[in-house]
Amino acid sequence: MRKDLKFLAATFLTPVLLMTVLANADPRAQAKPAEAAKPSWKDKLVKGPPTAKGAIPKNIDAYTPGMMPVEPQDIPADVMAKLTAAAVAPDKIAFLKSGKARFAMSPEVMLKKLREAKSNVEVNAYVDAMMAVYQEAQFEQGRDAPTIAFDTNSPRFNDWHLRRPAGLDPKREPGPVSLSRYVRGRSGFATFAGSPVAFTPADLKAGKVDVAILGAALDMGSGWRDARHGPNAMRMAGGTGGTEVSSMIAPSEVLNIVDYGNAAIDQNSTERSVQEVRRLVREIAQTGAIPVVIGGDHSLEYPNVAAAADVYGKGNVGVIHFDSHLDTGRGRPHLLDHGQPIYRVMKEAHIRPEDYIQVGLRAHYNAEQYEWQRLIGMHYHTMAEVERRGWDAVLERVVKEATKNTKYLWISFDVDVLDPAFIPGTGTPVSGGMTMREAIPIMRRLCAEANVIGFDIVELAPQLDSTYRSAMNGNALMFSCLTGIAMRKKGLTQPNYFSPLSSEHGQDNYYGAKK
Amino acid sequence: MRASFNRCFNRCFRQARNRALSVSALALAVALPSVASAADVGSLPPEQRAFLADEDNLARFGLTPEKLAAMIAARDDAGARALVASLMKTTDDAKYQAATTAPAPDQGPLDPVGDMAAVPLKTDAPNFNGGTVLRPEIFDEYRRDPGPFSLKRYVYEQDPIPTFAGAPVALRKADLVAGKVDVAFVGVPIDFSSGWRDAANAPSVLRSMYGASGFDIYAGVDPSLELSLADYGDLTVDRMSPEMGVDHVRKMVAEMADAGVIPFVVGGDHSVMFPTVAAMADHYGQGKVGVVQLDAHYDGARDQAHVYSDDQAVSRLIQRGIVHGKDIVQIGVRGQETSSADIEWMRNQGIQYHTMAAIEGQGWEKVLATALSQIKAGPENVFVSFDISVLDPAYAAAAGRPSPGGLTIREAIPLVRRICAETKVVGFEMLDVAPYLDLSYRTALNANYVMHACLTGIAMRKGGIKDPAYLSPLTASATGR
Repeated sequence: MRKDLKFLAATFLTPVLLMTVLANADPRAQAKPAEAAKPSWKDKLVKGPPTAKGAIPKNIDAYTPGMMPVEPQDIPADVMAKLTAAAVAPDKIAFLKSGKARFAMSPEVMLKKLREAKSNVEVNAYVDAMMAVYQEAQFEQGRDAPTIAFDTNSPRFNDWHLRRPAGLDPKREPGPVSLSRYVRGRSGFATFAGSPVAFTPADLKAGKVDVAILGAALDMGSGWRDARHGPNAMRMAGGTGGTEVSSMIAPSEVLNIVDYGNAAIDQNSTERSVQEVRRLVREIAQTGAIPVVIGGDHSLEYPNVAAAADVYGKGNVGVIHFDSHLDTGRGRPHLLDHGQPIYRVMKEAHIRPEDYIQVGLRAHYNAEQYEWQRLIGMHYHTMAEVERRGWDAVLERVVKEATKNTKYLWISFDVDVLDPAFIPGTGTPVSGGMTMREAIPIMRRLCAEANVIGFDIVELAPQLDSTYRSAMNGNALMFSCLTGIAMRKKGLTQPNYFSPLSSEHGQDNYYGAKK
Repeated sequence: MRASFNRCFNRCFRQARNRALSVSALALAVALPSVASAADVGSLPPEQRAFLADEDNLARFGLTPEKLAAMIAARDDAGARALVASLMKTTDDAKYQAATTAPAPDQGPLDPVGDMAAVPLKTDAPNFNGGTVLRPEIFDEYRRDPGPFSLKRYVYEQDPIPTFAGAPVALRKADLVAGKVDVAFVGVPIDFSSGWRDAANAPSVLRSMYGASGFDIYAGVDPSLELSLADYGDLTVDRMSPEMGVDHVRKMVAEMADAGVIPFVVGGDHSVMFPTVAAMADHYGQGKVGVVQLDAHYDGARDQAHVYSDDQAVSRLIQRGIVHGKDIVQIGVRGQETSSADIEWMRNQGIQYHTMAAIEGQGWEKVLATALSQIKAGPENVFVSFDISVLDPAYAAAAGRPSPGGLTIREAIPLVRRICAETKVVGFEMLDVAPYLDLSYRTALNANYVMHACLTGIAMRKGGIKDPAYLSPLTASATGR
């Protein structure tokens, strides 16, 4: 996801400004070489021991953009004299000294403005404006609504996720329903990977289903919005059948795969929608099937992973988060959006920071964001690491980390981790991303070599791509992981397995012993 | 979010058919609409029979009395009772379900027991209102006198930094007042459209497309010359909820009117209509503003859990008493989310609607004349809410909720110009332009031409030209006759 720029400026730049300005609050003071740098509140933060399962990480709220402890502000004598001369009220001077005025502007500019004020009236007007801006920005009981209220008297309050009474359809035995009229062929109904459809856990159990693919058409994320059409675009695109060349495995022959339809979404509320997604992912996982969620935006990582933790236990699941964005946003008025899922997941202790592995990061985040991620113990792999060490080294490291701490793995794949050359159809694209020839092997390897208990592919916004490319590549990612899961079922879990048949023509001994 | 969809399955059609059938003696026996006559429901308990008697209850499940009768006939008594019970329970489940137990200690706010009655917010977020806090003038690093200022370096700049109609920029109310601004554009980039979402990008796309300024060949007027225009920038909205932006938009648009300006709002989806019309009522007084809505959609959905969305802008305005139904004139409605019950609701509210069916039946010229006379007979102050979907997708592919069979651009332009010249238009909005849906320039250009038609009308009126269907004698005829 991309942060809304205004929000970014207000939330992230403020602390940056704050930090740089803190270090040299008074430009004249900086000239004195004897003066030591002021200690920062960050110096006191110590990396704790690894988070216990089910515990809230110690440093999770250690620093939140815009919510750090407010350092008091020194008012130099000449400015204080000016304030006194202007008869600025004591409570207003206390406000200036508290440092809260930094919300309105940097102390440097503030002091400059006060020094340059031409009259006592101007001094007072200036201080009043800073206080007004600060107070306006904060939540105020009575003035601001603390919640977004629904009309609970609506007779159609739950229409958006009302389940269809069984009696409306002809009776049928539980089990996946084929939509094909013919022995071979699909009869025109687009389903994920050309699979039969299932609607209930009973269908999944009766069909001994290995993988159930669920659409979740949620798209309130920032940037361009069209992820709502991601699930159907992937249903309609091809590329999910047949045999995978590296392994010579045909996932649809090895696995029982179904299309589990779509989760109900309230298109005006992420907060409501994720409850239903969590219920459905949980009900799939409880049958022993592997849920695959096709989004939809990256808010979905929260209900997906929370559902996995509901079933496999808090702290028992690791997550690989492919994304050009960190998605650890926090401190915003909304509890969840597509930039905050990881924070929400960790804050509710579903996944430990130590078991979070991010790959492909490159959107424009400041140092504080990475410092915080390092402090709480997350594993991040940026495109800077890829540039420095090469993709192969990063790939090996990620696969090792994926199996290190946890028995279970969830993969959350935001398609914007790929370069826009491969996926122009995404809401918040970022240049300089992974190639499909990097993405396909890592998905196959992770799904074969780790115990993947679910994955999601999110942020596919097909309207932004007038070609077939984004949807087809989305399916290729899904196909790679399904291949890996099928390989695992067949026992092919050794590192970096290749079919000796397809990776070598065998007419001579060209590679010799280099198998 | 099409809650009213299928609310009343072709009720008028069914009533009309039943009336037609009942005149035929032969058909009398089968003409009665209720399930009771179509199937044996005598064995059902009274409350089940009462439930089935309301066709709206059946329509929710895509059923008609006849379809249900067939289902009941295929079941034994117990099966029929179970079927109806499941329909009744589902209808009941649709209502808000309060929590019956306390949440577990580690249960998060997004995992409530029972239904979520309100979206919880992080009230200690440091930037809770941050995006909407205005920068006080005293904070300006360099002072400037109030008034709109141009972003052009040259007198005749070909491709300047984009602004609406190439207008100078105004940032504060004082700029509007000092510049005696007649019309100020303002963007409201929210896109929770119940169709495709991209209207958030409309303001910047319309700014960078030409067509909103220049000489108008029909009226012989250049509105940029006759009027003082300004681009008031965009307003901050909350991208995660229409609700949290409503008050800010309402306040800011009302403030524009207070400054003596005609606001030209560029959405954003049609949920923007609620705060803009409310702002007009705040300034001119409730009941003192008439609304002309040019739209493929009636936007009068009711009974929704959400308080604000594009498809209920009209019903919320009426419910709140901000505008009277009789003071709304709608042209172009044809969206399939509208049912007979919805049209009946519109009729009961007194909304003066002109659907595409009316245009097909009466012809465009007649409907145009009727609509204009209705607008003139209504409140003096007129607000025009133009949803781009009123145009046929041939002219405006980039509509969040497109619908075929719409107005042509040669119908829309004279309509808008005439409304803006012949009545006192106090505000105009261009909503639900979703640029990514059109790979061409077409929608953006047509949207700008429609806004230009209204600017032309306002300029004509300012110059004293209010004659019906006025065309410039200079431009409309080579001989002046």
